[in-house]
Order: sequence, then C-alpha cells, then structure tokens
Amino acid sequence: MIPSQRMSRNLFLKVSLIFFALLVCLSWYFILIEQEGALRQLFSPESKEYALAFLRDLMGVGYPKPAFLDLQRWKEALGLTYETLMMSILAVGIAGFGALLTVIPAARNAADGTLTLHTGWWSWTAYVVLRGAYILSRAIPELVWALLIVFIFTPGMIAGGLALALHNYGILGKLWAEVVEDIDLRPIRALRAAGAGTGQTLFYAVLPTVLPQFLTFLLYRWEVIIRTTIVVGFVAAGGLGREFRLSMAWFQYTDITLLLLCYLALVFLVDFISAGLRRLAR
Amino acid sequence: MSTVRVGLDQHVARHDPTHTGRGLHSRAVLTLLLLGAFVWSLLSVDWSVPLFHPGGGAAILEMAKSLVRPELSADILSLALTSSWRTLCYAVAGISLALFIAFPLGVLASGVLARTAPGRVAATVTFRGLLGFLRAIHELVWAWLFVAAIGLSPFAAILALALPYGGILGRIFAEMLVDVPAAPLKALRASGASELKVLFYGRLPLVWAHMLSYSMYRFECAIRSATIMSFVGLGGLGYQIQLSLQDLRYSEAWTFTLVLIGIVAAVDAWSAALRKRLVV
Repeated sequence: MIPSQRMSRNLFLKVSLIFFALLVCLSWYFILIEQEGALRQLFSPESKEYALAFLRDLMGVGYPKPAFLDLQRWKEALGLTYETLMMSILAVGIAGFGALLTVIPAARNAADGTLTLHTGWWSWTAYVVLRGAYILSRAIPELVWALLIVFIFTPGMIAGGLALALHNYGILGKLWAEVVEDIDLRPIRALRAAGAGTGQTLFYAVLPTVLPQFLTFLLYRWEVIIRTTIVVGFVAAGGLGREFRLSMAWFQYTDITLLLLCYLALVFLVDFISAGLRRLAR
Repeated sequence: MSTVRVGLDQHVARHDPTHTGRGLHSRAVLTLLLLGAFVWSLLSVDWSVPLFHPGGGAAILEMAKSLVRPELSADILSLALTSSWRTLCYAVAGISLALFIAFPLGVLASGVLARTAPGRVAATVTFRGLLGFLRAIHELVWAWLFVAAIGLSPFAAILALALPYGGILGRIFAEMLVDVPAAPLKALRASGASELKVLFYGRLPLVWAHMLSYSMYRFECAIRSATIMSFVGLGGLGYQIQLSLQDLRYSEAWTFTLVLIGIVAAVDAWSAALRKRLVV
C-alpha cells in the first residue's frame, strides 16, 4: 500500500470511529435523558413487582395445572413444532430454487463474459436487474414481507414460507453470486478448450465447484430461518408463532413457557442437523 | 478470498476446506436429501384451503400503484424522520450493549484464559452454552417477553436487541480468538507472558480488525431488527409501517418502507467501505 492510500485509509477509519462513538453517545443520551421517565420507571418498585409476577406466572407458581405439565398440551405443542419445522423447510426450498434459477446471470463474471464467453447489453441488464431484486428482497425484513403477503395469501404455511423465502432469496442470491464470482476459472477454460458448450460447462465445471459452498450457505440460512419462523408466525401463519401470540394475548403464561421450550428444542435440533449435514457437504 | 463478506455464514464458511477429496458422492446424497425434505414439506401443506384471498389481486394492484406515488406530505415525512431516529437509537444502544456482553463472554467462551485442559473444557461448555441460549431466541421473542415483564419501555427494545446480538457476537469473537496463528503466541509464552498477557498482546492485536468488521456487519442487521422490534408496540419505523398497513394506506406504508431501505442501504455502504479498509 502506498503511503497516501494508507493515510486516507486511516483517516476514514478515524472519522468512522468518531462518528460511531458520537452516535452511541447521542442514542444513549436520547434514551436516558430525553426519556428519563423510562429509566425511573424501569427501577421503580412497581415494575420490579410486575416483572417478578411475570416470572412467577411463566414458571406456573400457583397454577393448578401449568400447561407444561399437561400431556395433552405437549402433544398439541409438538404438532405445532412440526408445522413450524415444515414451514422453515418450505421457506429454504423456495428461496433456494429462486436463487438457483437466477444466480448465474447475477454473477459479475457471467455478465462480463469470463464465465460464459459471450456478453452483451442483455447480460449486463440481467445482472443489474437481478442484483437490484436481491437488494430489495433482503432490505425488507421478513416480518414486513409477511404483513404484505397476508393481504394476498390466506394465512397459513404457504404465506409464512413465502414471506421467509422472499427475504432470504436476496441474501442467498447475494452469497451464492459471490461464490460464483470467486470460482476457479481453470477447469472451465479446460472444458471450453475441449469444445464444451455453455450448458455442459455449467453442469460439469461450475456446478460441481460451487455446490459445496452453495449447500453450506443454504444450511446456514436454515439455522437463521428456523429462529425467524416463529416471528413470521405471529402475523402470517400457524405454527408456534401464532400460538405464542394468542397465549400472550390471553395471558396464558404457562403456555408461553411450553412454547418456548419447544422453540428452543427445535432451534437446537436444527443447529445439530445442519452441522451434521454441512460435514456431508464438504 | 480477498473481500470480507457478510456474516457468520462466511466467517465459518471461509474455514471450510472445500476440497477434501470426498468427491461428489456425499454431496449428491445431501442434495437428494434436501430435495426430499422440500417435497415432503410441500406435501404437508394443507392444499384444500384456498391459497388466495378473494380480493388479493386487487390488493396487489393497489399496493403496486401506490409504490409509484408514495405519500410525501410534510407531516408524514417528519413522522418518518422521527421514527427513523428512534429506530436508529434502539439499534445503536442495543449493539453497544451487545458488545459489552459479547466481549467478556466471548473471551471466556474461547477458553484461551484457562491454564489446564479440564478448566478450558469447563469454560467453553458453560459459556458457549450460555451464548447459544442467548442467540437461540429471536430478538422479537425477547422483545415480547421483555414487554410482558417490564412494560412498553425503550429498555425492553434495547435489552431484546442486546441479548441475542451479544450471543451471536460472543460466539464469533470466541471463534476468532481461538483461530489465531500459533507462532506469535508461542513467542510470547516463551518470553514468560501469562495467558492474560498473551490475550492482550498476542491474540487481540491479530483479530481486532476482524472483530470490528464483524460488529459493523451486525450493526447493519441491528437496524433491521430494531425496525421489527416496534411490532410489539415499541415505536419506530416498523410501528408506522404496521399502522399504515392496518389503515390500508399503502402509499404511506411505502414512504416508511422506502425510508427504511434508504437507511439500511446507507449503513450498508458505510460498513462495506469500513470493512474493506479494516481487513485488507
């Protein structure tokens, strides 16, 4: 790195750091000083009493039959857990297929022709349009997608899965496109030199090279999606999320404990499966 | 791989040795397995209920039409600005608290301070478990629990952000601290440094840029999360989006959504520029 570059880099870092520190101070100032009532309220005796009562309710103190000791409720909750798991797989599947269909034109080396050996205004247009779609899709949070989708779809697994898929499509597309951009070009050139067509190169050189990383990213996204499925369930669909929301609305806090236990078990289960499958992907 | 990429995904993926020579066979099995799971999930959908609302098509049209003319009156714009500031505040305060949680827990969970092997195992298991619990629960679920426990206070939002983000950051910090090259550490130890000194003079100087870079990426995510946070009634941009949608005022909802996209894009660009310079 030449010295002047180094200086401008350090200046940028310094300014960013100062700016971020300023932002932190301003935010805490806003929260602690502008809304000082909030802090006083947080440490008031009433809110302590309130929080303790909530914890007692969660643990079912004083309940004749807490939901988490009721076999029937467990059965229902496990059914919802299964539904949530299916919804997450649905979401991963839709997002994965969508991204798989669009990822090659969305890679820079496909647009400028290093990958496909031909280029033109159409490949650049496809590149810009698809990258724009990825940005839009991932900029909107799952929950906002879900709010939009329930206007069109009836609430259910499909609506929830689509909302999750729409957000993750952009993330997966971006990650996969970067994998394609980082690809080793030598096997492709070798195939080309041997007279392979575009389809053959894609199938025999590009796909085998990118598949392990594609699968790894897909499984990582699944781990994230399973945590979010419950959130999307709040508005768009069944599964644990809807039940969680209903129980909150009816102050059935022992049900909340039961649902949280199922949710935690599901998250750890998916983390475990995904870690095992990722070993297979390498 | 020269560019620093987004997220936990890449941090771990970078360490994945891609070509271990196990060949395509296990990958083909895995692909088939995943396809099978997807088909199974499709089959478990109850297809007998109608998929679309009767007025769904009209609603799409209406939404698409209002995208080209978002509400730009002064009232709405100033409302968008104040609620963005609130969202930004929650995100910044949440991430700064998350860093306070993540750093000590991450150091403890990495087990680098432990002198004996059993001590290291005990530390990693305990603190990794704690971090795993923190990040297993989504921030919105945390938010809802905090709202139920302490009421609609800004601290509910900040804590709900800080706990899962602390869990995620802590885990990554721990992995980074473990993954440093061994030679400089050996040199330090040979000259008589304690494990604490090795941490401060050997490990941290090697990884702080990566840590900052990852925290910056998480800050981007925190803004999105802070927006969602308001769906349990904590105010901010997401709350406004929700209110507008409930009143069927699509053009207002689009204004707020576009402001959100703008903020996210701005922070995205800033953090990308920063990360490019941090990790060369």
